[in-house]
Amino acid sequence: MTPEFVLGCIILIVGVIAAGFPRPMTYLGRLISLEIPAFGLLLIMLAYDEMLALLTFIGVTAISTFVLVRVIERKEAVE
Amino acid sequence: MEIAYPVGLVVVAAAIIIGFTALVREKDDLHRILLTDLAEILALVLIALVATDLAEALILPGLVVGISELMAISEVYITKEGLRAPAGPAFRIEVMDSAPGILALILVAYGIVLSGFTGGVIAAVGVVFYFMCRGHAERFELIETVSGYAWAFWIGAFFIFMFLPGYWFFAVMIAGGAILIKVMAKMSLVGTMRGGGPDV
Repeated sequence: MTPEFVLGCIILIVGVIAAGFPRPMTYLGRLISLEIPAFGLLLIMLAYDEMLALLTFIGVTAISTFVLVRVIERKEAVE
Repeated sequence: MEIAYPVGLVVVAAAIIIGFTALVREKDDLHRILLTDLAEILALVLIALVATDLAEALILPGLVVGISELMAISEVYITKEGLRAPAGPAFRIEVMDSAPGILALILVAYGIVLSGFTGGVIAAVGVVFYFMCRGHAERFELIETVSGYAWAFWIGAFFIFMFLPGYWFFAVMIAGGAILIKVMAKMSLVGTMRGGGPDV
């Protein structure tokens, strides 16, 4: 039980609650809240020295954020 | 390690229950797509708890499936709702004018140092960022051709592993370089999704 692991678990739970039930129920707010459990996952990977998985996750997250922002941008333009 | 695994499992189980409760209670489709991303993160935590090389080997395809699934679902959603690109001038951000060159250079250089699948993704982020900020007018047939040859080299490297195991280092180098080019070429297409080019 390294400190990174404990911190990662705490951030994961907090982040899942934040992303599951965001207070102002907006798309952008939920997208930003999604970064919190992702950070918990990064800390858990760090605790187990999974360097390749960590770096790939950071890269793929950047691309998936771009894909989601594109959808939200179009959805908000309609409303 | 002996204590960490059950504790981690309990934490993930609680997180999955919370996440899927939110998913069931949600009515809006786009919110559901965002929660799909959350479910993917929870699945990756479950794999990461295995804490061996096996976990790394399983996380990489998990990430690929996740991103492609996300792209497919978002495209289906856009088509279903009939959403169009917002009209009017795009917003101007100063960083998007000054940073792309140097940032893309750093990311691509680091990606080449890493090589393999991870390097391909890191380099692709640099290329995607550059395309997004500067627009694109490249010949995508050329990129596709290079990607196809890289795929063939990758397969060839596996034949070296099988038939000439003595040359394993040579094969590792070929496979690492080929998968770098392959992933980078495929993922760089994401950068063109914003439109603005001649063919989109």
